[in-house]
Amino acid sequence: MLTLSGVTKRFGGVLALDNVDFDLRCGEIHALLGENGAGKSTLIKILGGIHRPDAGRLVIEGRPVSIHSVADANRLGIRIIHQELSLAPNLSVAENIYLGREPGGLLGLRRGTMVRDAQSLIARLDLHDIGAVGTRVSALSVARQQLVEIARALSCRTRILVLDEPTSALSQAETESLFTTLRRLRSEDVGIIYISHRLEEILRLADRVTVLRDGRAVATRRAAQTDRAELIRWMVGRDIREHFHRPPYKPGEVALQVRGLSNPKVRDVSFELHYGQVLGLAGLVGSGRSELARVLYGIDPVHSGTIEIDGQAVVIRGPQDARRRGLVMVPEDRKREGLVMTESLAFNLALPWLQDWITACFPNRRKRREIVERAIAGFGIRAGHPEQGVETLSGGNQQKALVARWMEHRPKILILDEPTRGVDVGAREEMFAILGRLVESGMAVLLISSDLDEVIQSSHRVAVYRDGRILRIVPAEQTSIEQIMSELTGGRTDEGD
Amino acid sequence: MKAIRQLLPLLVAMAALLTLFGLWVPNFLQPENMLDLIQQISVNAILAFGMTLVILIGGIDLSVGALLALVGTTTVYVLTRNPGEAQNALWLILAILAGLGVAATFGAFNGLCAAKTPMPPFIITLSTMLVARGAALRFNEGRPMHIPDYEGLFLAIGNGRLLGVLPIPVVLMLIVFLVMTVLLHRTRFGQHLYAIGGNREAARFTGIPIAANEIFVYMLCSILAGVAGMIHTSQLYSAEPASGVMFELNAIAAAVVGGTSFTGGRGTMYGTLIGAIIIGILDKGLNQAGVHFSSQYIIKGLVILAAVYIDVRRR
Repeated sequence: MLTLSGVTKRFGGVLALDNVDFDLRCGEIHALLGENGAGKSTLIKILGGIHRPDAGRLVIEGRPVSIHSVADANRLGIRIIHQELSLAPNLSVAENIYLGREPGGLLGLRRGTMVRDAQSLIARLDLHDIGAVGTRVSALSVARQQLVEIARALSCRTRILVLDEPTSALSQAETESLFTTLRRLRSEDVGIIYISHRLEEILRLADRVTVLRDGRAVATRRAAQTDRAELIRWMVGRDIREHFHRPPYKPGEVALQVRGLSNPKVRDVSFELHYGQVLGLAGLVGSGRSELARVLYGIDPVHSGTIEIDGQAVVIRGPQDARRRGLVMVPEDRKREGLVMTESLAFNLALPWLQDWITACFPNRRKRREIVERAIAGFGIRAGHPEQGVETLSGGNQQKALVARWMEHRPKILILDEPTRGVDVGAREEMFAILGRLVESGMAVLLISSDLDEVIQSSHRVAVYRDGRILRIVPAEQTSIEQIMSELTGGRTDEGD
Repeated sequence: MKAIRQLLPLLVAMAALLTLFGLWVPNFLQPENMLDLIQQISVNAILAFGMTLVILIGGIDLSVGALLALVGTTTVYVLTRNPGEAQNALWLILAILAGLGVAATFGAFNGLCAAKTPMPPFIITLSTMLVARGAALRFNEGRPMHIPDYEGLFLAIGNGRLLGVLPIPVVLMLIVFLVMTVLLHRTRFGQHLYAIGGNREAARFTGIPIAANEIFVYMLCSILAGVAGMIHTSQLYSAEPASGVMFELNAIAAAVVGGTSFTGGRGTMYGTLIGAIIIGILDKGLNQAGVHFSSQYIIKGLVILAAVYIDVRRR
């Protein structure tokens, strides 16, 4: 019923989708699988009318279509349930189901009709778990909210239902009941595209599986004719794109020692980080890696556990405190947490070192220029002029600026959260060359990345991180992407809490 | 250079308005009339300097107009408790400190609420505006409190002239302008404000103490409202509990016309000064041209809208 052929989408220099073919049949559950950044979300955003493909054809029931907006997608019977639910928490179940197309006329909302319609819809879809339709959505569990989304999607003529990671917040029992619902929809000839990291689920639920890797559809198989090992191979078995050179390992003293660190997002995390060492934190998006970084940097509170720097127990109350102790962090989201986008490159590079170039009310412009030039030259930031708006720089140069601005006085410990997100291949190699230099000079680095290849190739030790926990820490050369991917996507450890 | 390029459209607008009224109103450009104009804008300009800091970090302070009245009544109340029935410099200092102390307390409260709670500054300062207004109206049952004629020094704040030429309010405005310019454009504090206003999260990740800066900004804004309150009270020869209504909006208008961005992170003291002058020229020019006061409001409203539209388009 749905065929995509040769779909290509490019964001700046990055090829997000490269000539992808994909088809969905009537009454089929088709799973879409791939690492973070493989192109899954771009693909569903094209179906949902959020992005437009640069090339390729979309055919629905034999007719070529073009989807320019969410409204277009809805008209074609395509409904997408995103990972972040899009319900209005302050409204009732019935109001949410009919949001935007409330029954009513000149005399206002016909609330009674809406409630009756919602009740009969829920009965027809057999989604009784939702409960009373007058309940405020904010009072429902995430699983039930998900069912409300499904009810909403099916309240009008829906032929294609897309679910993006629907089980990431569900318990085992809730997942089972979701599957029952999906299977029944399949029997009613709805085509379902199901996106998940969890291989077991996919093998159990899906009829067919398509694996995306680096923007290409590398394989489509019947679920019954494949297995975990094969899927993992397709997901990670990429061509050798580039080489990261792991810096030579000359471990020094323990720089950072963490014992039993816990808060609501981080569970009993312990590890040791030495000078001259890169510890890679390998985890999927949403596994709570950034949350660990935030605790270490003093942004989020510690509930229990201890942090030692150079063998001394420390309490880090905030980034200021962390910096004083020689620990700095390059956050994941450079636009939101990293750079002051309204200002120039020079402003951002000089911002952490105000005390070096401003005494009372006497700014020393020469010193400021020196700080800025050292950062630009030392880290190969390409900009027309230091006073150029930092907004106008490429992602790679912004990222380099974020690292460079900490290096005027070398920190002891550097936390890098997704340092290569959204940067092109060239900048990525430069980033790792920089990392290598810093580590060789003795810096201790905690590297967080969703790109397993990157983590394994540039770290000395790898901590496998899932659901806020370190499952185990292994020397990087004694593990493989396949092995880690299998641990990250394997059966649940303990969920529902 | 960058500053000049940013200010150029404002300077052009100012020159255009001066030319317009120079042709329209006889003697408009006479030095004495111009000096009068500058004196009339001094209260608004001082309020606007403080408002610029607050808007720069993404906040707003609606309480300054009411605070101006409260500072006036507080100061005059203390001043008139002077048992000597004659001017007493110590007592005058005490009165001024009492007024500014009240201002600083309100500012600290606004800042604490803004920094430590998730309440929006609009609502916080709307509430403290009502509190300050009510407090001002408690003095003398809401009636004006006359300043005794022997308080020559206090009356000079609003009415005196330095060396017989420069009105004291203008001198005070220039001093405040200089101090604020240095503070915003030459100190670490100023850099912090641009960082916080430009991207609060990024400023936090850089290790900038957000709360301390924010509290200080609201305190400064309130203290400047106190200074403006002294001038205004002195000019009126009495403390008027009902004065200062809508002053906060005039101050916001001056800051915004001067290029301060409501989304935070953009704005300069020079810009705000010129913004205050432009609004002052409009007020005085339209008045002297004999335009009906109802039309004055309409014209002023449209001019502010146009100025901000041009500014937004240029970004």
